[in-house]
Amino acid sequence: MKLDFDVVVVGAGVAGAMVAERLSLAGARVLILEAGSRNPSRTQMVGSYAIAPIKGLLHNPYLNAESDAKAPSPDSSRSYYDQPPAPHTQYESTYERRTGGSTWHWLGHTPRMLVSDFLMKTRYGDGPNFPPAMVDWPIRYDDLEPWYCEAETEMGVSGSDEEWKEVFGTKRSKPFPMSMIWPSYSDNWIAARINGKKFDGAEYLVRSTPAARNSTFYDGRPPCAGNSICVPLCPIGAKYDGSVHVGKALQAGAVLWEQCVVSKLEKDADDDSVHTVQFITYGGEHRSVAAAIVVVAAHAIETPKLLLMSGLANSSDQVGRNLMDHLSKSAFGVVGESLFPFRGPPSTSGIESFRDGEFRKERAGFRVSLDNDGWSRLNSPYAEILDLVGNQKLIGAELQSALFERVSRQVRLSCSVEVAPVSSNRVELSTATDALGLPHPKITFTPPEYSYKGLAHAVKTLADMFRLMDATNIQPIDPKTYDGAGHIMGTCRMGENPKSSVVDSDGRTHDHGNLFIVGSSVFPTVGSPNPTLTLAALALRTAQRISVQLGARTKPRGKS
Amino acid sequence: MNRPPTINTRSDLLKLLCEAAELEHGIACSYLYAGFSLKRDIVECGMNWVEQQMVRGWANRIYSIASQEMLHLALVWNMTTAIGGTPYYLRPNFPQSSKYYPIHVPIELQPFGPRSLRRFILYEHPEDGAPDRNLQSLLKFGGDDEAEIVFGSVGELYRLVESGFRDIEPKKLFIGSPTQQMNLDLIHFPDIVSVTGRESAIRAIEKITEQGEGTARDRKDSHFGAFVTTLTEWNESKGPGSGFSPARPAIDNPTVFQEPGYGAKANPIDDPLASQVAALFDSVYSLMLRMLAWGFQFDAAGREDGLRGFCAVAIDLMPRVLLPMGEGLMLMPAGPKYPGKTAGPGFGLTRHVQLPACPTNASLLCRERFQELAGIAKRLAKNELSNPARAGCQHLEEIAAGFDTRVKL
Repeated sequence: MKLDFDVVVVGAGVAGAMVAERLSLAGARVLILEAGSRNPSRTQMVGSYAIAPIKGLLHNPYLNAESDAKAPSPDSSRSYYDQPPAPHTQYESTYERRTGGSTWHWLGHTPRMLVSDFLMKTRYGDGPNFPPAMVDWPIRYDDLEPWYCEAETEMGVSGSDEEWKEVFGTKRSKPFPMSMIWPSYSDNWIAARINGKKFDGAEYLVRSTPAARNSTFYDGRPPCAGNSICVPLCPIGAKYDGSVHVGKALQAGAVLWEQCVVSKLEKDADDDSVHTVQFITYGGEHRSVAAAIVVVAAHAIETPKLLLMSGLANSSDQVGRNLMDHLSKSAFGVVGESLFPFRGPPSTSGIESFRDGEFRKERAGFRVSLDNDGWSRLNSPYAEILDLVGNQKLIGAELQSALFERVSRQVRLSCSVEVAPVSSNRVELSTATDALGLPHPKITFTPPEYSYKGLAHAVKTLADMFRLMDATNIQPIDPKTYDGAGHIMGTCRMGENPKSSVVDSDGRTHDHGNLFIVGSSVFPTVGSPNPTLTLAALALRTAQRISVQLGARTKPRGKS
Repeated sequence: MNRPPTINTRSDLLKLLCEAAELEHGIACSYLYAGFSLKRDIVECGMNWVEQQMVRGWANRIYSIASQEMLHLALVWNMTTAIGGTPYYLRPNFPQSSKYYPIHVPIELQPFGPRSLRRFILYEHPEDGAPDRNLQSLLKFGGDDEAEIVFGSVGELYRLVESGFRDIEPKKLFIGSPTQQMNLDLIHFPDIVSVTGRESAIRAIEKITEQGEGTARDRKDSHFGAFVTTLTEWNESKGPGSGFSPARPAIDNPTVFQEPGYGAKANPIDDPLASQVAALFDSVYSLMLRMLAWGFQFDAAGREDGLRGFCAVAIDLMPRVLLPMGEGLMLMPAGPKYPGKTAGPGFGLTRHVQLPACPTNASLLCRERFQELAGIAKRLAKNELSNPARAGCQHLEEIAAGFDTRVKL
């Protein structure tokens, strides 16, 4: 078979772009196929978002009529997921099909997983209701630690070495590339009221949250200027996103073909290798390329969708199964003095104290975030303005003063709860199809009781924090509902046993020696941290393994 | 200015640190002036929605660099007190001629544009060698009346400072009290280094030079790299016939001093109201500097809480008063002598005593000065000020009103 490239990478997000750059530097001829495009540009998107009278889903700055039709995503279409309607529980997280991937609209937080997160079965598996699919990873924290350091350097992570020296036995071997993003005024105010106090045996300790957001000039990008809109996008590129490594990959010699939607991977007739990648252009042309190595980096829903469409890598029947997220919940209260939200990034500190402990034998761990965005997720300040103008008939300076008095004291706290893997939570192929005739993902998702218990505990914790802050006007919280965290994980789990997992610890599919998967789809369990740093570390590790496998085929170019 | 090739006495090292403090301070003001001049809103005309995003990016970059220059001044002060000196904040008023410092570039207040950006690149240019051809081309002063470019280097100055810290016996040199050193617990200066010996002094110097000119391996993430990027972007955005005009038309080197005998070749603000706002700006700026300098000199042992509050008030003056007032001045007319031009802050250092060592008296002098300045702000706010200038005045009144609650020395 004539090979067009050494490596084809499907998907130009963080994981795919990092792999493409590393392998290009190693001398491989690399093609990246991306379903979306890089348009509109950052400045165009910020400009159009700035003039949108109402910010939110209806004014998603990423809307692009052509891409949204040919490569739809749950960000562009609420009906993209085929899932049973409410009251059946919904999968709430979304993603972006665009060059640079979903990191365009991520918050940028990069805490590492804990030592325990890799050893759930060993440490907590004797709990009476411990979820049966909650396994150990085939690698340990120490295996990934050097790659965590590399990923932090590549992405540019700001953090406090002092505060993160050791968290639940999880140590760091290198300092953060940049010092921490300065905590907000409200972070310090809250810390002064809760630090050292205990709830259910764990002690509150506010720590700055590590973030792939520049605290100084780094990698050609400016420091964060506190524009406070990391979500939906950073206007100045201070926050890392996948487009950074797409640029580096191209500079290293990789080739990028955008608006090419991969429709099928094809197994060779004579063995189990997968060399041929079929794709459809936006113009409807069906084409294919062949490569020695194929890497699928299409996030945790499009990746299993493609494998299921191709009928590959699924001898274990695990492709698409164990879909996970974090259950996210916000709590809203008002405190007695102005905390001036919206100064700085939307969140700069959090509490790690509830992420690990013996309690994980029976319920999930969680992280708490202190948020700097007031009640903006409850339609503030629009609701306040309507009330003050419409009901209280205030105008001019009186309106301004009353609005400030209300908005500046509003506080949001949030939690992110570990979701345990469940085999029946899965991605399948829908009968509904998009404009290119490719199936939508069919989603089935019901959080397990283990995670609901964790969520209930997290909600109580947030209420206790508000009590310590003497907050009033606390909005009622229903612990049986949740929001998506945007942390789409699982569906191609990593493991040693080919009968119960899709890829090995290197990211290589058990069924096909030259087909690799990178991204959060390979996570067997998820802990409670934001997943991007971990998936980046794994992707860099996989790139190194692929480089070895390519061997004599390539000659390193060296980093420019 | 002749300087010895190496430094081996405390006195020479202190003199050099004063020179470094003057430079960091003056350059920071020059950056801030350019930052204040960038338009915020498209109602100011001269840019569309998309161009506005680029301009906001430039403003973010310049303010980030200016804040790091303030950190550099703080680091110089920590080095100074570590060896027995006192924080130095004086400097000649603007403009300062190219002959005054050995960097051979004038330090001026000019609005954002190619002239100011070229100067900024020269301030931050690495000491190792002449600029490459691309940079030479970028720095062409076509049509401008600037003199031939001669390269000096701030980095060179710090190499000399470093030689002093390396050559003088540490036991003899470091006579300042460690509890006199400013640190993260006492003041909100991210990345500040407490200087207690040779190793920390050299770390502080490396922080300054790395942020300024970068390292031989990485220039793009330095002030130098950021200004080169900004000038390149400016050149690319300013096509023929483009109506893009990102900067407010502020005069160069404004001053509130009207007397012809005033030494610096500055431009007196001719509009009475703008001149009064600029005078208030200068007074607040001078008070802020006096407070910070006092804070860096004060031995906080046992009185950390008091010092924290005192420094926090001084720091508050920067974003809440000086920033809006500085931007607001650039929206106010410079006066009949300058048709079509707007005013700006002169960063004039008004004559005043250093705050006394006694904390009670220092606090008293500050409280009284705050009351006086808040009274002026209140009176000025009754006039037709630009919105940011009015906000600056209001914030000053608020900070003055809260002084006793926050400062307990």
